[in-house]
Amino acid sequence: MEFVWTSTVIAIVAFVLLYFLLNKYAFGPLFGIMEKRRELVQEQISSAENNRKQAEQHLEEQKQALQQARKDAYEIIEQAKTTSTKQADVIIESAKAEASRLKEEAVQDIQTEKNKALAAVRSEVSGLSVKIASKILDKQIDQKAQEQLVDQYLNEVGGKP
Amino acid sequence: MHVFPIIELGGIPFDLSSIIAILVSSILVFALARAAVSNLSVHNPSKIQNFMEWVLEFMHSTIASTMPMHRAKRFITLGTTLIMFIFISNLLGLPFGIVTDVKEELKWGNVVVISQETIEEHGGYAHVAWWKSPTADIAVTAGLAIVVFLLVHILGLMMNTKHYLKHYFEPYWFFFPLNVIKEISKPVTLALRLYANIFAGEVLIATILMLGWIGFPLLSIWQGFSIFIGAIQAFLFTVLTMVYISQATVHEEEGH
Repeated sequence: MEFVWTSTVIAIVAFVLLYFLLNKYAFGPLFGIMEKRRELVQEQISSAENNRKQAEQHLEEQKQALQQARKDAYEIIEQAKTTSTKQADVIIESAKAEASRLKEEAVQDIQTEKNKALAAVRSEVSGLSVKIASKILDKQIDQKAQEQLVDQYLNEVGGKP
Repeated sequence: MHVFPIIELGGIPFDLSSIIAILVSSILVFALARAAVSNLSVHNPSKIQNFMEWVLEFMHSTIASTMPMHRAKRFITLGTTLIMFIFISNLLGLPFGIVTDVKEELKWGNVVVISQETIEEHGGYAHVAWWKSPTADIAVTAGLAIVVFLLVHILGLMMNTKHYLKHYFEPYWFFFPLNVIKEISKPVTLALRLYANIFAGEVLIATILMLGWIGFPLLSIWQGFSIFIGAIQAFLFTVLTMVYISQATVHEEEGH
């Protein structure tokens, strides 16, 4: 085994050349790609984080909207309840009023009818009494009785102002 | 033992098998890396892209275990180049060998590939190995270690000047020679460890091959184990490189 110094020189030259060639044509681009991938992953992580945050925000908004809707519905129901109660009261009130009005009217009608009936009866009675009187006058009138009767009428007329 | 084809051009020796091995390793590493990035995609990476990304991540975490995280990033390419080059180099000699028997002087034109003396030295004929792991040659591992050595000390001087210079004289000034020995022993051990492991593996493969068919199960076991050793050695070389860089560039207080 001899030591051939040119092998040493050739080894050094070959190695240095290999180093620069690899650096330029192989590892340089590969490092670039790895760096790019690292950036890509970083970017994807941050965008995923953003998406998560956005989703959370949306969820929060949805929750709030749901809460709001629930509250609105509750209010509407409450309002409907109070309105219906009020309306029922109003209806009952008006029904009562109507009933009392009807009753009053009925009473008035009765009164009028009664008055009318009374008047009718009175005229009937007076007519009858005139008829009776004329009949009596036709049959049994005499001087004395006539005078008496006239006096009586006069008294009545005079006595009633 | 095998003879390696060493030629001389203008008085300068070239080890053909090492050169072939270095070129093949480099081309394989580059082809693999290019295949991994041929169809780059952020969303839908191919299997080989995934694999290469895993290698880079693995190197990043490994380097980060030896030095502060923010400093680790710039050494990923260095670490990955080292580990891929050494691992593929380690595996190169495992699956097969190309050996020719040379009985007469081998010449290409005027260039002597195997000289007559070499053949005579080996008893009339020489086994010439054309194919091996580049890291089974100490000259190649020395080259890698020199790269690491220069890198460590240049980075130390540039990034951490004061503490780098100071550490040669710690804890006392007369420790300077010891510190120098320590610094020199680092690349030497790097080169020798890698070379010895891989070379021993190949020697053992060659030895087992001499057994003939009986050695077949042994050979497959040893090849499997050599893959493991190759991976371990590649990892060790890379991690030690990073540790040395970290020691030279990162000041103690800064590291904590």
